[in-house]
Amino acid sequence: MTTIQEFIKEIKNLKPIPAVANQLLAVVDNPDSSMEDIANVIQYDPIMTASVLKTCNSAFFGLKNPAESIKDAVNMMGTDQIIELVLLKSGTQTLGKKQEGYGLEEGDMWKYSVSSAVIAKQVAVNLGLKNKNTIFTAALLKDIGKIILEKHVAQSSKKIKNLVENKNLSFREAEKKVFGIDHAELGAMIAKMWKFTPRMIKIIRHHHLTDETMMEDKEIAAVYLADCICMMMGMGVGADGLAYRFKNQAMNKLGMKADDIALIIAQFGVDMQEIEELLNIV
Amino acid sequence: MKQIVGVADMKVSNNTGESIITYSLGSCIGLVIYDPVVKVAGMLHYMLPESSLDKDKARAKPYMFADSGIPRLFKSAYQLGAVKQRLKIYAAGGAEILDQKGFFNIGKRNYMALKKMFFKNNVMINKQNVGGNVNRTVRIEIATGDIFVKTSGSKEVKI
Repeated sequence: MTTIQEFIKEIKNLKPIPAVANQLLAVVDNPDSSMEDIANVIQYDPIMTASVLKTCNSAFFGLKNPAESIKDAVNMMGTDQIIELVLLKSGTQTLGKKQEGYGLEEGDMWKYSVSSAVIAKQVAVNLGLKNKNTIFTAALLKDIGKIILEKHVAQSSKKIKNLVENKNLSFREAEKKVFGIDHAELGAMIAKMWKFTPRMIKIIRHHHLTDETMMEDKEIAAVYLADCICMMMGMGVGADGLAYRFKNQAMNKLGMKADDIALIIAQFGVDMQEIEELLNIV
Repeated sequence: MKQIVGVADMKVSNNTGESIITYSLGSCIGLVIYDPVVKVAGMLHYMLPESSLDKDKARAKPYMFADSGIPRLFKSAYQLGAVKQRLKIYAAGGAEILDQKGFFNIGKRNYMALKKMFFKNNVMINKQNVGGNVNRTVRIEIATGDIFVKTSGSKEVKI
Protein backbone atom coordinates (compact mmCIF):
# COMPACT_ATOMS: atom_id res chain seq x y z
CA MET A 1 0.00 0.00 0.00
CA THR A 2 1.16 3.51 -0.78
CA THR A 3 1.96 5.36 2.42
CA ILE A 4 0.81 8.88 3.19
CA GLN A 5 4.45 9.99 2.91
CA GLU A 6 4.56 8.71 -0.65
CA PHE A 7 1.36 10.58 -1.52
CA ILE A 8 2.87 13.74 -0.03
CA LYS A 9 5.95 13.27 -2.19
CA GLU A 10 3.73 12.96 -5.26
CA ILE A 11 1.84 16.11 -4.32
CA LYS A 12 5.12 17.97 -4.02
CA ASN A 13 5.93 16.99 -7.60
CA LEU A 14 2.67 18.47 -8.91
CA LYS A 15 2.78 21.82 -10.58
CA PRO A 16 0.58 23.88 -8.28
CA ILE A 17 -2.16 26.15 -9.56
CA PRO A 18 -0.87 29.72 -10.06
CA ALA A 19 -0.32 31.75 -6.89
CA VAL A 20 -2.76 34.40 -8.06
CA ALA A 21 -5.59 31.88 -7.78
CA ASN A 22 -4.66 31.16 -4.18
CA GLN A 23 -4.56 34.81 -3.24
CA LEU A 24 -7.85 35.32 -5.00
CA LEU A 25 -9.40 32.45 -3.04
CA ALA A 26 -8.43 34.14 0.20
CA VAL A 27 -9.95 37.43 -0.95
CA VAL A 28 -13.11 35.70 -2.18
CA ASP A 29 -13.57 33.94 1.15
CA ASN A 30 -13.50 37.23 2.99
CA PRO A 31 -16.91 38.92 2.78
CA ASP A 32 -15.37 42.32 3.47
CA SER A 33 -13.24 42.27 0.32
CA SER A 34 -13.85 45.10 -2.11
CA MET A 35 -13.74 45.15 -5.89
CA GLU A 36 -10.46 46.98 -5.56
CA ASP A 37 -8.90 44.23 -3.42
CA ILE A 38 -9.79 41.74 -6.10
CA ALA A 39 -8.42 43.86 -8.93
CA ASN A 40 -5.20 44.39 -6.95
CA VAL A 41 -4.59 40.69 -6.53
CA ILE A 42 -5.00 39.99 -10.25
CA GLN A 43 -3.01 43.00 -11.41
CA TYR A 44 -0.02 41.71 -9.50
CA ASP A 45 0.28 38.86 -12.01
CA PRO A 46 1.04 40.36 -15.43
CA ILE A 47 0.58 37.13 -17.39
CA MET A 48 -2.81 36.52 -15.81
CA THR A 49 -3.79 40.16 -16.35
CA ALA A 50 -2.95 40.01 -20.05
CA SER A 51 -4.75 36.72 -20.44
CA VAL A 52 -7.90 37.91 -18.65
CA LEU A 53 -8.03 41.11 -20.70
CA LYS A 54 -7.62 39.16 -23.93
CA THR A 55 -10.56 36.93 -23.03
CA CYS A 56 -12.71 39.86 -21.86
CA ASN A 57 -12.09 41.63 -25.15
CA SER A 58 -12.89 38.58 -27.27
CA ALA A 59 -16.05 38.47 -29.34
CA PHE A 60 -17.60 36.06 -26.83
CA PHE A 61 -18.30 38.83 -24.33
CA GLY A 62 -19.08 41.53 -26.91
CA LEU A 63 -17.95 44.53 -24.83
CA LYS A 64 -18.68 47.91 -26.44
CA ASN A 65 -15.32 49.37 -25.43
CA PRO A 66 -12.25 47.27 -24.80
CA ALA A 67 -11.23 46.73 -21.18
CA GLU A 68 -7.74 48.13 -20.76
CA SER A 69 -7.14 47.20 -17.14
CA ILE A 70 -8.43 44.69 -14.64
CA LYS A 71 -10.32 47.54 -12.99
CA ASP A 72 -12.03 48.29 -16.31
CA ALA A 73 -12.86 44.63 -16.72
CA VAL A 74 -14.28 44.38 -13.20
CA ASN A 75 -16.37 47.50 -13.79
CA MET A 76 -17.73 46.32 -17.11
CA MET A 77 -18.30 42.65 -16.38
CA GLY A 78 -18.70 42.48 -12.64
CA THR A 79 -16.47 41.02 -9.98
CA ASP A 80 -17.90 37.51 -10.14
CA GLN A 81 -17.26 37.08 -13.83
CA ILE A 82 -13.64 38.21 -13.52
CA ILE A 83 -12.99 35.97 -10.52
CA GLU A 84 -14.42 33.04 -12.44
CA LEU A 85 -12.22 33.77 -15.44
CA VAL A 86 -9.07 33.82 -13.31
CA LEU A 87 -10.03 30.57 -11.61
CA LEU A 88 -10.85 28.93 -14.91
CA LYS A 89 -7.53 30.02 -16.38
CA SER A 90 -5.71 28.80 -13.27
CA GLY A 91 -7.30 25.38 -13.18
CA THR A 92 -7.13 24.37 -16.80
CA GLN A 93 -3.50 23.15 -16.70
CA THR A 94 -3.88 21.12 -13.55
CA LEU A 95 -7.27 19.60 -14.33
CA GLY A 96 -7.12 19.48 -18.12
CA LYS A 97 -5.00 16.35 -18.46
CA LYS A 98 -6.06 12.84 -19.26
CA GLN A 99 -7.01 10.84 -16.14
CA GLU A 100 -6.47 7.28 -17.26
CA GLY A 101 -7.30 5.57 -13.97
CA TYR A 102 -10.73 7.17 -14.03
CA GLY A 103 -11.17 6.50 -17.75
CA LEU A 104 -11.25 10.20 -18.63
CA GLU A 105 -9.80 11.58 -21.85
CA GLU A 106 -7.91 14.84 -22.07
CA GLY A 107 -10.25 17.72 -21.28
CA ASP A 108 -13.06 15.54 -19.83
CA MET A 109 -12.18 16.26 -16.21
CA TRP A 110 -11.87 19.94 -16.93
CA LYS A 111 -15.21 20.20 -18.70
CA TYR A 112 -16.79 18.33 -15.82
CA SER A 113 -15.13 20.55 -13.20
CA VAL A 114 -16.33 23.69 -14.94
CA SER A 115 -19.85 22.29 -15.39
CA SER A 116 -19.91 21.29 -11.77
CA ALA A 117 -18.87 24.81 -10.75
CA VAL A 118 -21.55 26.40 -12.94
CA ILE A 119 -24.23 24.09 -11.55
CA ALA A 120 -23.05 24.66 -7.96
CA LYS A 121 -23.41 28.38 -8.49
CA GLN A 122 -26.93 27.84 -9.84
CA VAL A 123 -27.78 25.79 -6.75
CA ALA A 124 -26.35 28.55 -4.55
CA VAL A 125 -28.50 31.13 -6.34
CA ASN A 126 -31.63 28.97 -5.99
CA LEU A 127 -31.02 28.52 -2.29
CA GLY A 128 -30.06 32.14 -1.72
CA LEU A 129 -26.64 31.15 -0.34
CA LYS A 130 -24.24 34.05 0.09
CA ASN A 131 -20.77 32.85 -0.79
CA LYS A 132 -21.40 32.00 -4.42
CA ASN A 133 -17.76 32.46 -5.38
CA THR A 134 -16.57 30.08 -2.68
CA ILE A 135 -19.10 27.49 -3.80
CA PHE A 136 -18.14 27.95 -7.46
CA THR A 137 -14.46 27.53 -6.66
CA ALA A 138 -14.91 24.56 -4.35
CA ALA A 139 -16.98 22.76 -6.98
CA LEU A 140 -14.34 23.54 -9.60
CA LEU A 141 -11.48 22.11 -7.54
CA LYS A 142 -13.19 19.41 -5.45
CA ASP A 143 -11.81 16.46 -7.43
CA ILE A 144 -8.23 17.65 -7.48
CA GLY A 145 -7.29 14.54 -5.48
CA LYS A 146 -8.07 12.44 -8.54
CA ILE A 147 -5.03 13.80 -10.39
CA ILE A 148 -2.79 12.01 -7.87
CA LEU A 149 -4.99 9.01 -7.18
CA GLU A 150 -5.69 8.18 -10.82
CA LYS A 151 -2.35 6.39 -11.39
CA HIS A 152 -3.01 4.22 -8.35
CA VAL A 153 -6.60 3.61 -9.43
CA ALA A 154 -5.30 2.48 -12.83
CA GLN A 155 -2.95 -0.04 -11.18
CA SER A 156 -5.65 -1.42 -8.89
CA SER A 157 -8.56 -1.14 -11.30
CA LYS A 158 -9.54 -4.83 -11.07
CA LYS A 159 -9.58 -4.81 -7.29
CA ILE A 160 -11.67 -1.62 -7.20
CA LYS A 161 -14.05 -2.87 -9.87
CA ASN A 162 -14.61 -6.04 -7.90
CA LEU A 163 -15.37 -4.13 -4.69
CA VAL A 164 -17.86 -1.88 -6.50
CA GLU A 165 -19.57 -4.58 -8.54
CA ASN A 166 -19.62 -7.43 -6.05
CA LYS A 167 -19.29 -5.94 -2.59
CA ASN A 168 -21.74 -3.02 -2.98
CA LEU A 169 -19.09 -0.44 -2.20
CA SER A 170 -19.23 3.00 -3.76
CA PHE A 171 -16.19 3.94 -5.84
CA ARG A 172 -15.01 6.28 -3.09
CA GLU A 173 -15.43 3.56 -0.46
CA ALA A 174 -13.39 1.23 -2.66
CA GLU A 175 -10.62 3.83 -2.96
CA LYS A 176 -10.55 4.16 0.81
CA LYS A 177 -10.43 0.41 1.28
CA VAL A 178 -7.67 -0.17 -1.27
CA PHE A 179 -5.47 2.88 -0.64
CA GLY A 180 -6.43 3.88 2.92
CA ILE A 181 -7.36 7.29 1.54
CA ASP A 182 -10.00 8.48 -0.95
CA HIS A 183 -9.81 11.22 -3.60
CA ALA A 184 -11.66 13.71 -1.38
CA GLU A 185 -9.21 13.27 1.50
CA LEU A 186 -6.27 13.39 -0.87
CA GLY A 187 -7.74 16.51 -2.48
CA ALA A 188 -7.91 18.16 0.92
CA MET A 189 -4.24 17.25 1.49
CA ILE A 190 -3.29 18.91 -1.78
CA ALA A 191 -5.42 21.93 -0.91
CA LYS A 192 -3.66 22.20 2.44
CA MET A 193 -0.20 21.92 0.94
CA TRP A 194 -1.11 24.54 -1.65
CA LYS A 195 -2.32 26.78 1.18
CA PHE A 196 -5.94 27.02 0.13
CA THR A 197 -8.20 28.63 2.74
CA PRO A 198 -9.49 26.39 5.58
CA ARG A 199 -13.02 26.79 4.19
CA MET A 200 -11.98 25.50 0.77
CA ILE A 201 -10.05 22.59 2.30
CA LYS A 202 -13.13 21.64 4.32
CA ILE A 203 -15.49 21.65 1.34
CA ILE A 204 -13.10 19.58 -0.79
CA ARG A 205 -12.60 17.11 2.06
CA HIS A 206 -16.34 16.56 2.57
CA HIS A 207 -17.78 16.94 -0.91
CA HIS A 208 -19.12 13.37 -0.92
CA LEU A 209 -20.76 13.86 2.49
CA THR A 210 -18.97 10.78 3.81
CA ASP A 211 -19.38 12.34 7.23
CA GLU A 212 -23.13 12.88 7.16
CA THR A 213 -23.09 15.56 9.85
CA MET A 214 -21.53 17.76 7.14
CA MET A 215 -24.86 18.02 5.31
CA GLU A 216 -25.85 20.64 7.89
CA ASP A 217 -23.36 22.88 6.09
CA LYS A 218 -25.38 24.15 3.13
CA GLU A 219 -22.35 25.15 1.10
CA ILE A 220 -20.95 21.63 1.30
CA ALA A 221 -24.38 20.17 0.52
CA ALA A 222 -24.68 22.50 -2.49
CA VAL A 223 -21.34 21.34 -3.89
CA TYR A 224 -22.39 17.74 -3.24
CA LEU A 225 -25.67 18.24 -5.11
CA ALA A 226 -23.86 19.82 -8.07
CA ASP A 227 -21.66 16.73 -8.24
CA CYS A 228 -24.72 14.45 -8.24
CA ILE A 229 -26.31 16.47 -11.04
CA CYS A 230 -23.11 16.21 -13.11
CA MET A 231 -23.10 12.44 -12.65
CA MET A 232 -26.73 12.21 -13.78
CA MET A 233 -25.78 14.22 -16.87
CA GLY A 234 -22.87 11.87 -17.54
CA MET A 235 -20.39 14.72 -17.12
CA GLY A 236 -16.93 13.63 -16.03
CA VAL A 237 -18.27 10.15 -15.46
CA GLY A 238 -15.52 7.68 -16.19
CA ALA A 239 -14.56 4.26 -14.91
CA ASP A 240 -16.11 5.22 -11.56
CA GLY A 241 -19.49 5.55 -13.24
CA LEU A 242 -22.30 6.81 -11.05
CA ALA A 243 -21.14 4.54 -8.24
CA TYR A 244 -21.32 7.13 -5.48
CA ARG A 245 -23.94 7.45 -2.77
CA PHE A 246 -27.01 9.61 -3.21
CA LYS A 247 -28.31 11.04 0.07
CA ASN A 248 -32.00 11.92 0.10
CA GLN A 249 -31.47 13.43 3.51
CA ALA A 250 -29.09 16.03 2.10
CA MET A 251 -31.79 17.06 -0.38
CA ASN A 252 -34.23 17.45 2.51
CA LYS A 253 -31.75 19.59 4.42
CA LEU A 254 -31.36 21.81 1.37
CA GLY A 255 -35.11 21.87 0.84
CA MET A 256 -34.60 20.54 -2.69
CA LYS A 257 -37.39 18.49 -4.26
CA ALA A 258 -36.92 16.24 -7.28
CA ASP A 259 -38.51 18.87 -9.54
CA ASP A 260 -36.12 21.55 -8.26
CA ILE A 261 -33.25 19.33 -9.32
CA ALA A 262 -34.90 18.62 -12.68
CA LEU A 263 -35.23 22.37 -13.24
CA ILE A 264 -31.52 22.88 -12.59
CA ILE A 265 -30.78 20.07 -15.05
CA ALA A 266 -33.04 21.72 -17.64
CA GLN A 267 -31.32 25.06 -17.14
CA PHE A 268 -27.95 23.41 -17.54
CA GLY A 269 -29.18 21.85 -20.79
CA VAL A 270 -29.69 25.38 -22.06
CA ASP A 271 -26.41 26.79 -20.68
CA MET A 272 -24.22 23.94 -21.86
CA GLN A 273 -23.47 25.38 -25.26
CA GLU A 274 -22.33 28.63 -23.71
CA ILE A 275 -20.06 26.76 -21.30
CA GLU A 276 -18.45 24.90 -24.19
CA GLU A 277 -17.86 28.15 -26.03
CA LEU A 278 -16.34 29.68 -22.92
CA LEU A 279 -14.06 26.66 -22.47
CA ASN A 280 -12.79 27.15 -25.99
CA ILE A 281 -11.67 30.71 -25.37
CA VAL A 282 -10.30 30.41 -21.83
CA MET B 1 -18.37 10.49 -41.09
CA LYS B 2 -19.87 10.72 -37.65
CA GLN B 3 -23.01 12.65 -36.86
CA ILE B 4 -22.87 13.68 -33.23
CA VAL B 5 -26.05 13.93 -31.18
CA GLY B 6 -25.47 16.39 -28.35
CA VAL B 7 -27.34 16.50 -25.06
CA ALA B 8 -31.01 17.40 -25.66
CA ASP B 9 -30.47 16.78 -29.37
CA MET B 10 -31.64 14.49 -32.18
CA LYS B 11 -30.33 13.41 -35.59
CA VAL B 12 -31.77 11.28 -38.39
CA SER B 13 -29.94 10.17 -41.50
CA ASN B 14 -30.14 7.79 -44.45
CA ASN B 15 -26.55 8.37 -45.53
CA THR B 16 -25.04 4.87 -45.49
CA GLY B 17 -21.52 6.29 -45.22
CA GLU B 18 -22.29 7.68 -41.76
CA SER B 19 -22.70 6.64 -38.18
CA ILE B 20 -24.65 8.51 -35.54
CA ILE B 21 -23.18 8.73 -32.05
CA THR B 22 -24.09 10.18 -28.68
CA TYR B 23 -21.64 10.43 -25.79
CA SER B 24 -21.82 9.82 -22.07
CA LEU B 25 -25.49 9.18 -21.31
CA GLY B 26 -25.57 9.02 -17.50
CA SER B 27 -29.22 9.18 -16.40
CA CYS B 28 -30.22 10.55 -19.81
CA ILE B 29 -31.64 8.16 -22.39
CA GLY B 30 -30.26 7.53 -25.84
CA LEU B 31 -33.03 6.22 -28.06
CA VAL B 32 -32.05 4.67 -31.39
CA ILE B 33 -34.46 3.70 -34.16
CA TYR B 34 -33.59 1.99 -37.45
CA ASP B 35 -35.50 0.89 -40.52
CA PRO B 36 -33.39 -1.79 -42.25
CA VAL B 37 -35.32 -1.63 -45.54
CA VAL B 38 -34.74 2.04 -46.35
CA LYS B 39 -31.65 2.25 -44.09
CA VAL B 40 -32.85 5.17 -42.07
CA ALA B 41 -31.48 5.69 -38.56
CA GLY B 42 -32.44 8.17 -35.89
CA MET B 43 -31.06 8.94 -32.45
CA LEU B 44 -32.40 11.06 -29.61
CA HIS B 45 -30.55 12.05 -26.41
CA TYR B 46 -33.07 13.37 -23.87
CA MET B 47 -32.39 14.49 -20.30
CA LEU B 48 -35.71 14.52 -18.46
CA PRO B 49 -39.07 12.74 -18.59
CA GLU B 50 -41.75 15.40 -18.85
CA SER B 51 -41.94 18.71 -20.68
CA SER B 52 -44.62 19.95 -18.25
CA LEU B 53 -41.67 20.78 -15.95
CA ASP B 54 -40.83 23.86 -18.00
CA LYS B 55 -42.92 24.57 -21.10
CA ASP B 56 -40.71 27.43 -22.34
CA LYS B 57 -37.63 25.24 -22.33
CA ALA B 58 -39.58 22.45 -24.04
CA ARG B 59 -40.50 24.86 -26.83
CA ALA B 60 -36.91 26.05 -27.22
CA LYS B 61 -35.35 22.60 -26.79
CA PRO B 62 -37.96 19.90 -27.47
CA TYR B 63 -35.31 17.16 -27.45
CA MET B 64 -34.63 17.83 -23.78
CA PHE B 65 -37.72 15.84 -22.71
CA ALA B 66 -39.01 12.36 -23.47
CA ASP B 67 -42.58 13.37 -24.23
CA SER B 68 -41.65 16.20 -26.60
CA GLY B 69 -38.57 14.53 -28.13
CA ILE B 70 -39.70 10.99 -28.90
CA PRO B 71 -42.59 11.89 -31.27
CA ARG B 72 -40.27 14.22 -33.17
CA LEU B 73 -37.65 11.46 -33.53
CA PHE B 74 -40.20 9.09 -35.06
CA LYS B 75 -41.73 11.74 -37.35
CA SER B 76 -38.32 12.77 -38.65
CA ALA B 77 -37.51 9.15 -39.51
CA TYR B 78 -40.88 8.75 -41.26
CA GLN B 79 -40.06 11.77 -43.39
CA LEU B 80 -37.03 9.87 -44.71
CA GLY B 81 -39.25 6.90 -45.60
CA ALA B 82 -39.02 4.83 -42.41
CA VAL B 83 -42.12 2.78 -41.54
CA LYS B 84 -43.23 2.23 -37.96
CA GLN B 85 -43.77 -1.55 -38.25
CA ARG B 86 -40.26 -2.09 -39.60
CA LEU B 87 -38.43 -0.05 -36.96
CA LYS B 88 -35.84 -1.71 -34.76
CA ILE B 89 -35.64 0.06 -31.44
CA TYR B 90 -32.80 0.28 -28.97
CA ALA B 91 -32.59 2.23 -25.70
CA ALA B 92 -29.56 2.94 -23.52
CA GLY B 93 -28.79 5.04 -20.45
CA GLY B 94 -31.10 5.78 -17.56
CA ALA B 95 -28.31 5.05 -15.08
CA GLU B 96 -28.67 5.91 -11.42
CA ILE B 97 -26.47 6.99 -8.54
CA LEU B 98 -26.27 4.42 -5.71
CA ASP B 99 -29.22 4.73 -3.28
CA GLN B 100 -31.01 7.21 -5.57
CA LYS B 101 -34.62 6.51 -4.69
CA GLY B 102 -38.14 7.50 -5.68
CA PHE B 103 -38.69 10.74 -7.55
CA PHE B 104 -35.01 11.58 -7.22
CA ASN B 105 -34.19 8.65 -9.48
CA ILE B 106 -34.27 10.59 -12.72
CA GLY B 107 -32.64 7.74 -14.67
CA LYS B 108 -35.49 5.39 -13.84
CA ARG B 109 -38.10 8.09 -14.47
CA ASN B 110 -36.56 8.74 -17.87
CA TYR B 111 -36.89 5.08 -18.73
CA MET B 112 -40.46 4.85 -17.41
CA ALA B 113 -41.47 7.82 -19.56
CA LEU B 114 -40.22 5.94 -22.61
CA LYS B 115 -42.00 2.70 -21.64
CA LYS B 116 -45.26 4.53 -20.99
CA MET B 117 -45.19 6.25 -24.35
CA PHE B 118 -44.30 3.05 -26.21
CA PHE B 119 -47.02 1.08 -24.43
CA LYS B 120 -49.63 3.64 -25.48
CA ASN B 121 -48.43 3.62 -29.07
CA ASN B 122 -47.84 -0.09 -29.39
CA VAL B 123 -44.10 0.10 -29.90
CA MET B 124 -41.69 -2.59 -28.69
CA ILE B 125 -38.08 -2.12 -27.63
CA ASN B 126 -35.92 -4.74 -29.34
CA LYS B 127 -32.82 -4.37 -27.20
CA GLN B 128 -31.71 -2.21 -24.35
CA ASN B 129 -28.86 -1.46 -21.95
CA VAL B 130 -30.61 0.53 -19.27
CA GLY B 131 -30.04 1.31 -15.59
CA GLY B 132 -27.10 0.40 -13.40
CA ASN B 133 -24.39 2.81 -12.33
CA VAL B 134 -22.45 3.17 -15.59
CA ASN B 135 -22.49 5.79 -18.27
CA ARG B 136 -22.75 4.81 -21.89
CA THR B 137 -21.78 6.03 -25.32
CA VAL B 138 -23.92 4.69 -28.17
CA ARG B 139 -23.25 4.53 -31.90
CA ILE B 140 -25.18 3.14 -34.89
CA GLU B 141 -23.77 2.41 -38.35
CA ILE B 142 -26.40 3.42 -40.86
CA ALA B 143 -25.28 1.00 -43.60
CA THR B 144 -25.72 -2.10 -41.42
CA GLY B 145 -27.87 -0.97 -38.51
CA ASP B 146 -25.20 -2.34 -36.15
CA ILE B 147 -25.28 -0.71 -32.74
CA PHE B 148 -22.27 -0.34 -30.47
CA VAL B 149 -22.17 0.64 -26.83
CA LYS B 150 -19.19 1.76 -24.77
CA THR B 151 -18.96 2.31 -21.03
CA SER B 152 -16.08 4.46 -19.75
CA GLY B 153 -12.90 2.57 -19.07
CA SER B 154 -14.02 -0.34 -21.30
CA LYS B 155 -13.92 -1.10 -25.00
CA GLU B 156 -16.79 -0.54 -27.43
CA VAL B 157 -19.01 -3.63 -27.75
CA LYS B 158 -21.41 -4.56 -30.55
CA ILE B 159 -24.90 -5.35 -29.36
